[in-house]
Amino acid sequence: MHVPDGILPAQVSAVGYAIATPFIGYALRTINRSTSPVEVNRTIPKAALLTATFFVASSLYIPIPPFGSVHLLMNGLLGAMLGYYAVPAIVIGLFFQALLIGHGGYLSLGINVLLMGIPAILAHHIFQLRHRFLPRFNRQTVYAVFGTLAGCIGILGSALIFFGVVIMTIPADINAATERTAIYVLMLMHLPIALLEGAFTASFIVFLLRTKPELVERTGLRSPLPSPQKQAEQG
Amino acid sequence: MQLRVDDCTHLNSWLHQWDARFKLIGLLGLMIAFATVDSLWLVPWMGLVVLLLYKLSQLPLSFLIRRLRYPGLFLVGVLLFIPWVSGRIPLWQWGPFTLWQEGCLAALLIAGRFLCSVTVGFIILGTTPFVTLVKAVRSLGLPPLLTDMMLLAYRYLFEILANSNRMRRAMTLRGFGYQGPPSYPPGQTRSNRPPRFQQIQTLAAVTGTLFIRSYEQAERVYNAMRLRGYGYRPSQVQVFQSYSPHRTSQTLRWDAIALIVTLLVATSLILVNHL
Repeated sequence: MHVPDGILPAQVSAVGYAIATPFIGYALRTINRSTSPVEVNRTIPKAALLTATFFVASSLYIPIPPFGSVHLLMNGLLGAMLGYYAVPAIVIGLFFQALLIGHGGYLSLGINVLLMGIPAILAHHIFQLRHRFLPRFNRQTVYAVFGTLAGCIGILGSALIFFGVVIMTIPADINAATERTAIYVLMLMHLPIALLEGAFTASFIVFLLRTKPELVERTGLRSPLPSPQKQAEQG
Repeated sequence: MQLRVDDCTHLNSWLHQWDARFKLIGLLGLMIAFATVDSLWLVPWMGLVVLLLYKLSQLPLSFLIRRLRYPGLFLVGVLLFIPWVSGRIPLWQWGPFTLWQEGCLAALLIAGRFLCSVTVGFIILGTTPFVTLVKAVRSLGLPPLLTDMMLLAYRYLFEILANSNRMRRAMTLRGFGYQGPPSYPPGQTRSNRPPRFQQIQTLAAVTGTLFIRSYEQAERVYNAMRLRGYGYRPSQVQVFQSYSPHRTSQTLRWDAIALIVTLLVATSLILVNHL
């Protein structure tokens, strides 16, 4: 779900960059404010390797016979797992995709960052709500439910922005009613894919909860152990 | 998935020698100009500029065809969709479907813009090594957090990809994705069923394992980087160095002239389009 170069008018690409730049700036500032410089240095290699992992994992295909297969978008999962680091991860992932595979492009990078990044941050905040429900409900169920929500919101948010931008900017003479109908139809078509992504995200999070719970208990790549600075203070 | 990077950057054309910063600014300027074009008659001129650049780059045609495979699918979708939904003058009608003249013209314009922009993008990629490109982007003001992450991600990307391919092969050997024998009658095969939850769980477990391995590797990488002094010195301002060892002030002057010419072409396209 990427807008390639040359499809959108230059003005739309410019608006994309104009909104994406403060959006990325806000995410980077949030990262820098929420953690100490030592912690930021510590998390950069983690964020980089996990970015590469998600880039590779997004090429995994789920067979949907008889049509073929679909690959996962994973922006909801990125938001849930990496927190605000999901934004630089998405920027890098999109840059790699434009360079290495030819998906997306340089001019449409701003729009693509927004259509992947905004739902990822939304998914992050929704996934954070799990802490409110953990004391009252079964732990695994809470993680599974909020994982599903994060995955679904990631893909539905991206689809909404993608089809909204493409349909409203490309055909100049299309009327508003046709635009709305086209967006509704395309969104409905994406509902099964969103459920698939939600099921995948929930399964992924439950798997981590069983095997390495510290990775999902604290979102945003903060180290599960006290940082060296805190260790020094305590020592 | 297979990634092919830097497969044509060993060539020695003038575009390969062009300073990566100037090349990035010049060719991105050209791409912006292409994106602003909304007159169909300018598309052949854009094509001519791109053809000239591609010829100068000495990149083989197979490089372009191979790279166009994925983005071409989206283009085909747009070309099949737009002529039917927008316009006032009908060209052909069949039941509820109407082929519109304006839609066809818009589709041609988009196709022209798309092909020109994408080809210029591939020229940048085909003539500049990836690491040089990232360094050039950094020297043009991209935040260090992003470029550090980008270089590290690139460094480990191929290792993780090889790991993922091994795991995928193991999954296939254990029967994942097997859709039943081809002799089943149509409509009764396993292949007509939706994906089972167990399949999704297996994929999630494989991805989760890959994630955990990468996380543990990241801890080791961070410790190794710390031992080498990472994070203990203030970051130094790095002066961009082009990958070519033969750069002189004379060649830098030619690089600047080439940048000016490219930007002039881009500006002319924008101006002519608005006349």
